[in-house]
Amino acid sequence: MTCDVKVKDRVGTINPIFTCQPAGAQFASIGVKDCIGLVHGGQGCVMFVRLLISQHLKESFEIASSSLHEDGAVFGACGRVEEGVDVLLSRYPDLKVIPIITTCSTEVIGDDVDGVITKLEEGLLAEKYPDREVHLLAIHTPSFVGSMISGYDVAVRDFVKKFAQKGEPNGKINFITGWVNPGDVKELKHLLAEMQIDATVLFEIENFDSPMMPKGDEVAHGNTTIADLQSTGSASHTVALNRYEGGKAAEFLQKKFKVPATIGPTPIGIRNTDSMLKKLSEITGKPIPESLVRERGLAMDAITDIAHMFLADKKVAIYGAADLVIGLAEFCLDLEMKPVLLLLGDDNSSYVNDPRIKALQENVDYPMEIITNADFWDLEDRIKNHGLELDLILGHSKGRFISIDYDIPMVRVGFPTYDRAGLYRYPVVGYGGATWLAEQMANTLFTDMEHKKNKEWILNVW
Amino acid sequence: MPYHEFDCSKVIPERKQHAVVKGPGEDLTHALPKGYLNTIPGSISERGCAYCGAKHVIGTPMKDVIHLSHGPVGCTYDTWQTKRYISDNENFQLKYTFATDVKEKHIVFGAEKLLKENILEAFKAFPNIKRMTIYQTCATALIGDDIDAIAAEVMEELPGTDIFVCNSPGFAGPSQSGGHHKINIAWVNTKVGTVEPEITSDYVINYVGEYNIQGDQEVMQDYFKRMGIQILSTFTGNGKYDELRGMHRAHLNVLECARSAEYICDELRARYGIPRLDIDGFGFKALGDSLRKVGMFFGIEDRAEAIIAEETARWKPELDWYKERLAGKRVCLWPGGSKLWHWAHAIQEEMGVKVVSVYTKFGHQGDMEKGIARAGEGTLAIDDPNELEGQEALRTLRPDVIFTGKRPGEVAKKMRVPYLNAHAYHNGPYKGFEGWVRFARDIYNAVYSPIYQLSGLDISKDEIATDKGFMTRRMLSDATLPEASRNDPMTGYTGKYDSVSDLRTKTYPVFERKSSSAAAE
Amino acid sequence: MTAMTKKAQKDKSATYPLYEKLIKSDPLAELDTVTKERVGQLEWYIMKNCLWQYNSRGWDRRNQNAGIIGKTAQLLCDEEVENSTPLDKCYWVDAVMLNRAYRELYPWISEISKDEIKSLMKILHARMDWVMIDGSLNEELVVQHY
Repeated sequence: MTCDVKVKDRVGTINPIFTCQPAGAQFASIGVKDCIGLVHGGQGCVMFVRLLISQHLKESFEIASSSLHEDGAVFGACGRVEEGVDVLLSRYPDLKVIPIITTCSTEVIGDDVDGVITKLEEGLLAEKYPDREVHLLAIHTPSFVGSMISGYDVAVRDFVKKFAQKGEPNGKINFITGWVNPGDVKELKHLLAEMQIDATVLFEIENFDSPMMPKGDEVAHGNTTIADLQSTGSASHTVALNRYEGGKAAEFLQKKFKVPATIGPTPIGIRNTDSMLKKLSEITGKPIPESLVRERGLAMDAITDIAHMFLADKKVAIYGAADLVIGLAEFCLDLEMKPVLLLLGDDNSSYVNDPRIKALQENVDYPMEIITNADFWDLEDRIKNHGLELDLILGHSKGRFISIDYDIPMVRVGFPTYDRAGLYRYPVVGYGGATWLAEQMANTLFTDMEHKKNKEWILNVW
Repeated sequence: MPYHEFDCSKVIPERKQHAVVKGPGEDLTHALPKGYLNTIPGSISERGCAYCGAKHVIGTPMKDVIHLSHGPVGCTYDTWQTKRYISDNENFQLKYTFATDVKEKHIVFGAEKLLKENILEAFKAFPNIKRMTIYQTCATALIGDDIDAIAAEVMEELPGTDIFVCNSPGFAGPSQSGGHHKINIAWVNTKVGTVEPEITSDYVINYVGEYNIQGDQEVMQDYFKRMGIQILSTFTGNGKYDELRGMHRAHLNVLECARSAEYICDELRARYGIPRLDIDGFGFKALGDSLRKVGMFFGIEDRAEAIIAEETARWKPELDWYKERLAGKRVCLWPGGSKLWHWAHAIQEEMGVKVVSVYTKFGHQGDMEKGIARAGEGTLAIDDPNELEGQEALRTLRPDVIFTGKRPGEVAKKMRVPYLNAHAYHNGPYKGFEGWVRFARDIYNAVYSPIYQLSGLDISKDEIATDKGFMTRRMLSDATLPEASRNDPMTGYTGKYDSVSDLRTKTYPVFERKSSSAAAE
Repeated sequence: MTAMTKKAQKDKSATYPLYEKLIKSDPLAELDTVTKERVGQLEWYIMKNCLWQYNSRGWDRRNQNAGIIGKTAQLLCDEEVENSTPLDKCYWVDAVMLNRAYRELYPWISEISKDEIKSLMKILHARMDWVMIDGSLNEELVVQHY
């Protein structure tokens, strides 16, 4: 049976699956404490990303723009970066880290952001802010390369590159989660705690889900500190769960500081969570405790109620970030489901060589298509014009109209998921995530059965 | 000069001229902030870009068009589904967006060939659509792609297609407003007059500066149709490309959002002698007067009066019910460009809500003139606000509710100020007589939300009542009202969740056309 | 000063001849209390309810003020108003609304002579020119093109 990996066969994009690189860099920046990113480019590059993030998390985050205007486009706009840094520092007394994030416009103009940083460090920072701890770093994320996913990957590496120091071995592991939700970070920290593993979690975004307090003074913010980032060079090991969202940082630490790197697995589903725990155990020497056996058992108990009765043979289309899509596809296969179409939203040339994709190609026993550089038209066109029949869609909220118009049930996963309440609070990783995913899929299918009057009476006595 | 200096902006003294407090007895010659100037880098301004103003605000509401952005995907993705401009064409314009997906090699070698391939691909994917708009982005502006030339080439090769090109990259102006201007001028220069429209009435208008947010345009269209007025084109909400090419044949341009579309009205007046009539679709008095004026222009004011009478009879009692309960509530009116002046006076007069602050993200001094004139004494007016100033203002002013965008609304939520979406509304539409009551209803529901009251309780130190299982909005809103009000059987808005869909299947009276000589006047 | 204001300044001097300053100072300043109050009421109504006075260029505002306030004066004096062009008619509809509102809200208008009405409206016109054009702080009024 065939599992084809193909590239989208059109040059243009109809309904994009991803936005561009600067969005990823901005999402990384809000995970760092006392950090405000300065996006060097047009105002839209920031305004829309702040909106997108606020749709997903129902929170507002501070990111600044250098506000490129016409004169800057013609004459160069490095001066606006300098002014932007000065304005930020003078108005935010606790601010310590300012990543300068480039965009297509300023990369095309050729503004030398790295040069500006040196100039600022020697000039403005030394003269006007001599007693303040300020760290500037350049993150090059033009929009005509990669996507928001690669932008995130680049930014994580650049943060680590900027701060990592060689010190006394600290006995901790670096734990790079990838682009996940606060609910995922909570679940992962829980697993690490059960294993009694001391880890520097990058990035500490559990507080992105933050409360409304009686005094009205609460703000959602990331909690990864400069010290955390500095300590990455002295760690005993780096684990980057998502190859394409943190792999670069792990490789950097290995190369520069000889911190051994383990890339993957994306811990979606029981099997991948088992693998992750096993690897963690091997790396740290800590055993996997009985408590996690029980937790796994709880997940098993919940999932086996559902799997062979309801999920088996259901045809699924999955789109979004590669690590997420592959992880979900692998879990779906364990659940006896049939992922028939995987859409990876950018043109990363590594996908074809990804061993997980190769494993799918070698072992899947029904027709499966994997499309790289994909857009939503690849999904819709197949449904509308080529008879693709699906039982379920897994992906983020931008694809919602396909689910709505073609009446195909959809479980929202990935980024952004704004058309359902509270999804960011739940994990898709770990045993908790496996349970949540399986139950979400089941409940979504059940709602659809009732809506279509498709043997809905089965549930009367389930 | 009653300029207002924010504590958080003392270090950027140029900001002082961007905020003003309207003093007693002052008029616009005393108090007006600067406007539409370059943004201060790093200020964390609310502003967006000129591409947004052109493509997202004005271009994409056109419902029967392929909207293609020439550049990397980000601009397109960001402006896809992120505004609630609906249409009666199954929301095609909300669901489908097109990007040429410019990559590094195109930046180096040029992307004109890519653009052409994209145009052909898009038309092929949607063979029933023969109209396209193409928007330049920062990247393709900088590499100098000649989009107009490629569009012309394709129109030659595919007869029956028509393509509009808008060159408004993100950096083309201090804010979205630059984009509005560019697309207005481009449309009137290249497309108006290229189609002779069918005239179906003696009274022909263009409805300009209306984007059908949650159905606003369809509500107003209903009134005009009931008057027998032909809306030749709407610029651009629920609008059709070919109708907009016929704008030159209208007798009158009825203008709502002057900020985004006065440019095309002024050009049509200069080129075709079509007068420009500015109206307000919000508020019973303003809307009623607007309908009267349009009716009067055509000599059919009686038809307007009939509609006003019917609508007022149906909806005024419910509006008044809310007014009684909202009186004295204080609001920060913080929209993008024109709602600060559409709403400032009407909200006070008709809902009793006091506007304590207005701001404009991308407006010009003209918008501030209108807003400050219509707002009351003591109002804090801010141009090009930024994050810290907004927070400082909220902390000082302590409004009961705020009308602003989705993301600043999250900031307000954290500060325990309930918010309503001023750009895309909560449960709109807010235009029209019924819409205005829907707005009042949303304000009421936000302000008197029992859950919101609870959020201010610190259970670790405040008194906790243990004898209450619930509170209702009415218990909160009517506490200080006279007994008659408290016992009023009316409970507020009685309309449907969706007040717009039924309009799409309505039938309208047919009015006899005048003979051609009479119609000429 | 930013690039934009520099440009506006430049445009100001280059196009100043486009509209000449007509009103040199606030025309209400030296008048008696009753007149001030009455013109104030008429002005207040316009500023709270009307939009016609905000067209974006000084010369345009000059035309709007003249057209609408002129016709309002005629209507208040029960005169026939001639509308020979659509633009005229457009001024006229706003004038009709003002005529009605003034008569309804300000009973003193029905009690004064037509000459007094004309005189008041002239002051109102000057006052509107002052507030909206000659005394205005809006720097865009002098920009050359739309």
